[in-house]
Amino acid sequence: MSAATVDFGLGLRPEHYEEIAASPGRVSWFEALSENYMVPGGGPMHWLDRIRRDYPMALHGVSLSIGSIDPLDERYLDELKTLADRVQPMWISDHLCFTGLRGLNMHDLLPLPYTEEALDHVAERVKRVQDRLGRRLVLENVSSYVTYAASELSEWEFIAELSRRADCDILLDVNNVYVSAFNHEFDALAFLRAMPRERVRQFHLAGHTHKGSHIIDTHDHPIVPDVWTLYAEAVRLFPGVPTMIERDADIPPYEELLAELDVARGIAAGVDREAAA
Amino acid sequence: MSGTNAGSNVGSNVGSLGDLQRAFQDYLFRDSDAFQAAVRDTKKADRVTLLDVYRDGYALRLVEVLTTDYPGLMAMAGPADFDHVARAYIAAHPSHHPSVRWFGKGLADFMAGTAPYSGAPAAVEMVRFEWALSEAFDSPDVTPIAADALMALPPEAWEMLSFAALPSLRRLTFEYEVAQAWQRRDEVEPGNLEVARAAEPVTWMIWRPERISNFRSLETDEAAMLDALVAGRTFPDLCEAVAPFSSDDRAPARAAGLLRTWVEAGMIASFRH
Repeated sequence: MSAATVDFGLGLRPEHYEEIAASPGRVSWFEALSENYMVPGGGPMHWLDRIRRDYPMALHGVSLSIGSIDPLDERYLDELKTLADRVQPMWISDHLCFTGLRGLNMHDLLPLPYTEEALDHVAERVKRVQDRLGRRLVLENVSSYVTYAASELSEWEFIAELSRRADCDILLDVNNVYVSAFNHEFDALAFLRAMPRERVRQFHLAGHTHKGSHIIDTHDHPIVPDVWTLYAEAVRLFPGVPTMIERDADIPPYEELLAELDVARGIAAGVDREAAA
Repeated sequence: MSGTNAGSNVGSNVGSLGDLQRAFQDYLFRDSDAFQAAVRDTKKADRVTLLDVYRDGYALRLVEVLTTDYPGLMAMAGPADFDHVARAYIAAHPSHHPSVRWFGKGLADFMAGTAPYSGAPAAVEMVRFEWALSEAFDSPDVTPIAADALMALPPEAWEMLSFAALPSLRRLTFEYEVAQAWQRRDEVEPGNLEVARAAEPVTWMIWRPERISNFRSLETDEAAMLDALVAGRTFPDLCEAVAPFSSDDRAPARAAGLLRTWVEAGMIASFRH
């Protein structure tokens, strides 16, 4: 597969399975949610295999809990490895967060304190996961709503240093940068500029819900103009990085998401023209 | 790290990663508010408002998972009562699994063993039915055998012939007409789905021959024979299972007829003799 074939993609969602299979070539790749396909069989696995025949895929998880003080979940890693063997994904991503401890899963992407202690802890675990999976892990910046008093580093310093120490890649979620920048009153551009260029493997785009005093990352709305503006900056800084749109609630018709993806294509094309001028 | 002393760890070393994570999780479980001391207000919002995004989100997310898993229960109970039982279950059964797919597994047993939900046996049966459907939905894929495979067997093979049902096969006995009601779940306003009591308990089976799950009720003799088949018994034993429900000389024909029906319905995964 050439790098040119993997540019603009969407999340693989059950609502669109049949349309995707019936109309190949509308996007260049899909991102599948790993946990949705950790099942023995049935419709989900059928459609995963069917659509994988036509498209490159990335696997995107929500339960690795890379920052947790719990031991790594070996059974989860086994299942992820089995799924990766089946899908042969371009890359495997998850989130820079923890999802629970004492063996429990809160099913939320809980932020970490940005401390040296956390950095050491996460870097060591990333290395172990990468050894286990036999590939580099791609970690995503999360939207967050609280700031730890204990944090010693900025989020962007933490991520950049983690990627160097653990030799992992970065899934740069542009909406999450925007959301967290609003919530924590930092400069979103400073965040983008701090990302090591060679580590940024993928972009996420998504919609959110504005509550006035804070923004919640809900993935249930179209992408807002300010996030598109920030996306243009991200494309300027990290040209050629594959982009995908996440939609997880109030999922619109496939055509609507394709139209939204065309906006991303247009922005990226505009940045290309700027660079060529 | 046991972490059983909920919420008591923040004060001693507020910067420790483990202490912060324990305090955060305890906060989501409403076991302790100590985590408030570990985070900051912003110029736009106080920390409690911001922490509520996580605390409220935790329960809301899992209520939504149960709503997706149990549309029949929602149709029976309506949003308010559904929310009540869902939140009680969430409080009693935190998720241990990486996927929310499995979170609702224990709801039927929880309701059956917990007042006031145990006083609504039809709702408990609806939940058991819906979970069995969801188990069948993504159970292992096995191609069912075709009828001609059995037709080709020599007569003597039938003496030791036994079968394996599809991994998706589930058998459930209901005192209420939950399967019939489930099919009407979208036709009524949530809370208005009536579930009648059956004249007598009826065994139902659920199975998924390809990608679509099927279900139907079983005659009494059919249920007895299916129990014997799932237990790995031989064809002569299957005939014995139906014998009490028919005259002896008709039992083999009845058993053969039922077996053919099951094979044609794609319920049988394999046989051996």
